[in-house]
Amino acid sequence: MFYELAQSLTSGLLIGSALAVLSVGFSMAWGITHVLNVAHCAFAVLAAYLGYWSLAWWGIDPLLALPLMLPLFFLLGVVMHALLIRTTARRTHDLGLATMVLTFGLGVVMENGMQLAWTPDPRVLKTAYSSLTFSVGPIIVQAPHLIAFGLATLTIGALYLFTERTFMGKAVRAVWQQPMGAALSGINLDQVTTIAYGLAVATAAVGGVAMSLLYTFDPATHLSWLVYVFLVVILGGVGSILGSALAGLIIGLIIGASSVFVPLAWNNLALFGLLIILLLLRPQGLLQR
Amino acid sequence: MLQVEHLNVAYDTLQVLWDVSLEVHEGEIVALIGSNGAGKTTLLRTISGLMKPLFGSIRFMGEDIAGLPPHEICRRGVIQVPEGRALFPQMRVIENLELGAYLPAARAQRHETIERVYRLFPRLKERQRQNAGAMSGGEQQMVAIGRALMARPKLLMLDEPSLGLAPVLVETIMEVLTHLNGEGMTILLVSQEVHQALALAHRVYVIENGRIVRSGPSHALRDDDAVRSAYLGL
Repeated sequence: MFYELAQSLTSGLLIGSALAVLSVGFSMAWGITHVLNVAHCAFAVLAAYLGYWSLAWWGIDPLLALPLMLPLFFLLGVVMHALLIRTTARRTHDLGLATMVLTFGLGVVMENGMQLAWTPDPRVLKTAYSSLTFSVGPIIVQAPHLIAFGLATLTIGALYLFTERTFMGKAVRAVWQQPMGAALSGINLDQVTTIAYGLAVATAAVGGVAMSLLYTFDPATHLSWLVYVFLVVILGGVGSILGSALAGLIIGLIIGASSVFVPLAWNNLALFGLLIILLLLRPQGLLQR
Repeated sequence: MLQVEHLNVAYDTLQVLWDVSLEVHEGEIVALIGSNGAGKTTLLRTISGLMKPLFGSIRFMGEDIAGLPPHEICRRGVIQVPEGRALFPQMRVIENLELGAYLPAARAQRHETIERVYRLFPRLKERQRQNAGAMSGGEQQMVAIGRALMARPKLLMLDEPSLGLAPVLVETIMEVLTHLNGEGMTILLVSQEVHQALALAHRVYVIENGRIVRSGPSHALRDDDAVRSAYLGL
């Protein structure tokens, strides 16, 4: 029993890190640019497919394709923000609601586009290290889990350092905390929000590849991923990078623990039940004051 | 240095500034006084680019800046300390100051400028690691002025810098403004504190219901009967 729990918590923690990196960009986009990008996970699934096909067609591992995907997705985000989001922002007073509708449509288009191109068949990523395992004492760790954890740590760590240490990153936080003060300090709000949005979409690519190491996916998978993303972001606090990391890990642990204590069919009930309790205790998110 | 001519500004359908003309010369302290809701803040917001004028012109050093985005106006050296300060509350004092020097020209000189700010407000050096949101109102006002100075302004505009501060802090801030002006900085001050404004400024504009109703050297306005009865309670 104890062994089983330790095993489940370990893999839960690693799965949670993948959820964290899948969510952190969504949280940033929502917090900093006030865009509720419900197509976030559609971008992630797109990245999962690109990784899958690069392996299937050219034998290039998704981890090697990812560095090429990052600038592509950053650019996609920048173009999306400059063309779609800013145009919408000029016509609405409630950007969150307007972009939720807009990106819901975008998500549908992307999902159907992927279905058309690659069929609705679920895909399983089979890499050279898919069945590789490590033993840490009595606990067995699967290589894909560990790699997902590494991707998440690198990405979230880099984002955190960017916002804490660089002028541009501090400007991103400044725009989030006090847009008028930022504008009066000479910060170009359009430029900074567009860059932040590009980064958010780029992290979706990392999240998608990390998730594809752990789970099967198909074009419609983005909606079930989105449920977890909402969970993470609401628990961690909108816009908080470290909050997303912490919340992802907590949700991973809950998933791990509930796989031991409750029947599989009830896992989500346990997860969302605990979320309701946490929200009643800390409605502002874990790390927000 | 700054020429505002026939400026008309509206919030949606509500016009708040009517045919406002105002001039600030290099090296001056100019005060804009008037009661709550007279349009003082709107005028500063429009000069800073936070609002777009309906029509009228704003010229700075000969160039029309009306309708430019705020960061472009900052780049030309027009820096506002807004009412309510608009600091970044969850960032340290030193980060707030550094962000004031965000633009490339100011950024290159930020280490010298920050020393200058610390000389003006030694308190800020002591508190540089503290979050701006955790400071007292007076200290926050110092951060706000410090952040504006970090941008190396040619024209410094302050919106109600003494509002809600203890008299001793008001004194400090007024001394700093006098000192800055002595070093050659041009200042446009918006205030409801008419006594202070008249004492500090070279010239004064009086704004009522969105129109400039009087202007002149501060000693002349101090003796103006209408100003004395309306604003000085004499």
